Amino acid sequence: MAKILVAEDDKLISASLCDALKSQGHEATPAYDGEDAVAKAKEIKPDLLLLDIMMPKLDGISVLWELKSNPETKGVAVIVLTNMGDMETISKILEAGATDYLLKSDQSIDEVMKKVRDVLSRDIKLS
Amino acid sequence: MIINILLVADFIVLAIVMAWYIFRTLRERAYLRTRLSQSMQLQQKVYQAQVLKEISERIGYSLDTTKVVEIITNSLGNLLPYDTVSYMLITDNSAVFKCHVENSVSHEFIEEVKDKILMAFSGILNLDVKPSRFDESVTGNLLDDNVRVGVKSYFNLPVFIGEKLVGVINVASGQFGRFGENEASILYTITNQAALAVTRLQGVLRSERGKLKAVIDSITDGIISVDLSHQLLVANPSVREILEIAPAKSSEVSDITMFDIVDALAGKTDLRTKIDQALAEDKRIFVPDVVLKNRALEINITPVKNEIGEKVGANVVFHDITTEKSLEKLRQEFTAMMVHELRAPLTAVRWSSESMLKNLAQATGSEPGKVKDTLVTIETASNNMLELVNDLLDVAKIEAGKFELNSQEYDLAEVAKQQVEVFKPQAEVKHLALSLSSPEKLKAKFDRIRVSQVLGNLISNAIKYSDSGEIVVSLLVDEANKRVVVGVKDTGIGISREDLPVLFSKFKQLKSGDRSKKGTGLGLVVSKGIIESHGGQIWVESPGENLGSTFYFSLPN
Repeated sequence: MAKILVAEDDKLISASLCDALKSQGHEATPAYDGEDAVAKAKEIKPDLLLLDIMMPKLDGISVLWELKSNPETKGVAVIVLTNMGDMETISKILEAGATDYLLKSDQSIDEVMKKVRDVLSRDIKLS
Repeated sequence: MIINILLVADFIVLAIVMAWYIFRTLRERAYLRTRLSQSMQLQQKVYQAQVLKEISERIGYSLDTTKVVEIITNSLGNLLPYDTVSYMLITDNSAVFKCHVENSVSHEFIEEVKDKILMAFSGILNLDVKPSRFDESVTGNLLDDNVRVGVKSYFNLPVFIGEKLVGVINVASGQFGRFGENEASILYTITNQAALAVTRLQGVLRSERGKLKAVIDSITDGIISVDLSHQLLVANPSVREILEIAPAKSSEVSDITMFDIVDALAGKTDLRTKIDQALAEDKRIFVPDVVLKNRALEINITPVKNEIGEKVGANVVFHDITTEKSLEKLRQEFTAMMVHELRAPLTAVRWSSESMLKNLAQATGSEPGKVKDTLVTIETASNNMLELVNDLLDVAKIEAGKFELNSQEYDLAEVAKQQVEVFKPQAEVKHLALSLSSPEKLKAKFDRIRVSQVLGNLISNAIKYSDSGEIVVSLLVDEANKRVVVGVKDTGIGISREDLPVLFSKFKQLKSGDRSKKGTGLGLVVSKGIIESHGGQIWVESPGENLGSTFYFSLPN
């Protein structure tokens, strides 16, 4: 059971992600834009952030920079969700400090949940 | 006495005979003199004509001043006794002096000839001509300073082409009285006529060149022509614009140089090497995608040959493909956006149905509320996707001109009322007032389903882009223009001035695009297609960003 922040502007994707996370026993909180994501990350200090890249107000990479430069949120594990599978975007994502990334439409919800489990257990081991 | 009388008579007869004889002789002489002068004139004419013919044949179509003067000089030389025949051409500060020596003369003689020519220049131009540079060549017999003879007789022939004095021809001799006025005047005539022919030819050529230049200058592609050593022969004004070459600082040196061109392309393509390649391989070279600061170009290099098939240079055409490229980019962005917009609901459907299946399998998701929520997500996502696909299909039909209408007479007031009712719940969720202002009945001929679609699209946009205030749908009859006008006014985010003109186009790029409001914008493209198929118009008015907007459409009545 972990506290997970879901930063995703598409309400339907957000809903299906939150549903899936909740059924795994996690506590899922949605954020619908970049600024909202930064604010909620500071507020609830999640164990994991699922972060979309294309979001209004502040894009995912900027959110990542912002969180990584703040000591309070620096340690939050981040899985970036994206539809942009090009190497340039991916390297930019990892450079900005993401723990992992996944391509939204290429993966089943099972695979997403597996990645969530992996990252959370990796994180526990590290801490 | 008689003898005396006879003697006197004889004498008289003799005198008469003699007088007659003298008279006859004188008359014959006069006659002969006339005949002689006539035949001489005729001879002169023939001579003149022959020389002219020879000169004009040798000049041909040459417009090279040096060559023309040289030909005239050589022809004169063949017709006259002389020691030297020379010509001088003066441009700016430098002079070309050529002299053919028939009989050996001294260096001094040549210098004298030069002075006489310069004096002629100075006299004609009424200024002191003193070239600072001389390009001299002396051909023919060797010079011999032992021949101590100066110029004793000479004449100068100025050569005018157009209004311009291009050169002076000089024929000189070390003997007195070699050249009579008569000969000189004939030669003047010959020279003038030859020069006149050249002047005319130049005029024709100038006018032809002018026409060609006008054509080349009016072409929007940049065109240059170079010779084998990359010297620039022709460059039209578009070259400067397309290659983004800054205008010359001084108006006097407005001409573009090959250096400017090569420099403008530096780091993108090596034009000189490409030109050499085109010439070496004797084929057209195409350089496809040269991206400059603000432009993209295609470059075509074609070898140029003269009439006997020798390579003489190359033509280079710079074609601006900036617009094509930006259209292509827009198209790619549009495709990327469509894919993204289709993927989002698909992902939601996929994940939701996967979770539901899993939950069912694990029998943990049996709470009816949760199943219902997931199903709602799936239904909404599917509807969004369907709407998107339908819009795409409509756009395709509109673009292909295969959009069909089923128009009949309906009550537009009733249709509007129905749409307002459909959207009331959505408006209420956002606390927006949605009202209709319309006459009781408003008959018009239209496709009920399609016009409902347009109205629905406009109302749904108004709700989507407004966070507070009201939305008013109003109908009115514009009798003057025989049409009905429908307006959908909102108090939403409005539209910036620069976005207004592109709002109804497929590949639009809203400068102030707000990505939080999802959508492809295809709805407006489809609406425009539907209204225009009815013979109506669709437009939008907005005072500016955050000041609301009103969308209108009209239908013929």
